[in-house]
Amino acid sequence: MAVGEHGITVDDARRDYRRFVNLGRLIKFIALLLFCIFAVWTAWYMNMPLERLSGMFGRIGTMVFNRMMPPDLDYAMTGNVFYSILETIEMSFLGTVYGVLLAVPVAWFGAWNVTPSRTICYPLGRAALVLSRAIPPIIWAMILVVILGFGPMAGTITLVLLTLSFAGKLMSEQVEAIDMGPVEAIRATGAGEIKTFVYAVLPQVKAAWIGIIIYNWDSSFRASTILGFVGAGGLGLYLRSTTQLLDYERAMGIILVVIALVIASEILSHFARRRIR
Amino acid sequence: MSGIEAADASGINGAGLIGDANPLRPRNTILKRYCLIAGFASVVLVLTAHVFVFQTDWARTGGLGQMLKTAAWFLPNLGYFPSILLALFETFLIALFGTLIGMVIAIPVAVLAARNVTPAGLASYWAGRVTIVLSRSVHELIFALIFVSALGLGPLPGMLALAVRSVGFLAKTTAEAIENIDIGPVEAIEATGARRIAVLLFAVMPQVFPIFVGNVIFQFDINIRRAAILGMVGGGGIGLIFAEQIMSLAYDRAGTVVLGVVAMVLLGEYISIRIRSWLL
Repeated sequence: MAVGEHGITVDDARRDYRRFVNLGRLIKFIALLLFCIFAVWTAWYMNMPLERLSGMFGRIGTMVFNRMMPPDLDYAMTGNVFYSILETIEMSFLGTVYGVLLAVPVAWFGAWNVTPSRTICYPLGRAALVLSRAIPPIIWAMILVVILGFGPMAGTITLVLLTLSFAGKLMSEQVEAIDMGPVEAIRATGAGEIKTFVYAVLPQVKAAWIGIIIYNWDSSFRASTILGFVGAGGLGLYLRSTTQLLDYERAMGIILVVIALVIASEILSHFARRRIR
Repeated sequence: MSGIEAADASGINGAGLIGDANPLRPRNTILKRYCLIAGFASVVLVLTAHVFVFQTDWARTGGLGQMLKTAAWFLPNLGYFPSILLALFETFLIALFGTLIGMVIAIPVAVLAARNVTPAGLASYWAGRVTIVLSRSVHELIFALIFVSALGLGPLPGMLALAVRSVGFLAKTTAEAIENIDIGPVEAIEATGARRIAVLLFAVMPQVFPIFVGNVIFQFDINIRRAAILGMVGGGGIGLIFAEQIMSLAYDRAGTVVLGVVAMVLLGEYISIRIRSWLL
């Protein structure tokens, strides 16, 4: 029998090792078991009709291939619907432009390392980011429709808030990751907060910010296609009216237009990102 | 491309100021740049006028005072808060299980859509890619509409809608992670004569696992927000209550629901930060 340095035999060591391996396995097993119980309890608690799952694919197949086919693309090209497609693009564009204009100061205020004032500006910037992020866009849209009335203005402002929450957070994370050397150098010349931001912070984050802005336009376009559902402008309105009338051929026509536009915007943003690299 | 100029146009770019004095830059480049800026600004101006002036019924909207008065209707009615707690809990569960189901579906899709491990060449690669694009470009409300009509009302279609919607992001990021792995371990495992599934399990998975887990947590964070609206089309959760309160003009109760959603999202964010620091 081999004996180690401290008088521990190989068998002892193996037994020790086994004990911990088995303990680890036991803990994993118990965790998995508890999780399964939790899942079953959830299904029971929420009265989920799991028996319906067996026929689900058949019913979805019937719906997609019989009732939604052929998609009524002509409907998507009629006056009002076509105009609402243009309105959707317009909303996503304006929402991104104004959202970015708002997100730049917020990202600056909300970045701990370069914020103009850690007692006033930092909490303000953080609060703007957290609050706009915590409320889902559709709920923002419903609130703004009540306040501002139906139409693309409510949708555009929703997209401004979406851009602020999404791009603002990523942009301020970029600012927090910068090299502080240039900031100190510019400050040492006696520059104020704004000049420090323009000459020390911006050049460092510009490339990353442009990437974020392009990505954000992409995602705000995706979000804008649905805002009409609650009356905030764009082609979501027609999606809602056609699905509520069970006119699935027309609904599918609109969904196909949305998919085509999203793919087009993805290709566009892909090329834009490649161009800046 | 106009987006790039936009960032320059709005005066947030210091380099533009340096560019004027830079003798190395040809004059017509500067001119071209100013033309682009002017063009972009005028497009923004025209569209802004269109949306905010011609498309808005200002007589109905009223001035700033009227807007603030309307916004004040949404001040939360805290007495209503206890009655939405169960719906919030249900929303949370929908987000949790939606993410987990989506995670399970996303793994095979990611393997299909990663160029270096896809099993059957271009055919399976494109199958994976098309799944990702479809899942990413259709909104969760539309998925929920489809699942509700196939399964009836309730949280189950909502969960499946979230799952299908999550597949795109999870599979896309995971496929990218798989494409960027270090090929060394793969070759080492292959050299032992291991089968394809063993290569995936012992060479690919350990390398992408941390990225995958991070993305699943991020997706859970997003799905909490998404779950909050599914009820509007019958997908279960708090969305139905919110839509009901808005439709019955009980704006103070709607405000309470918003408060609840904010609390739930912040709690979810806290939990995901804790899980992330515990796992990664």
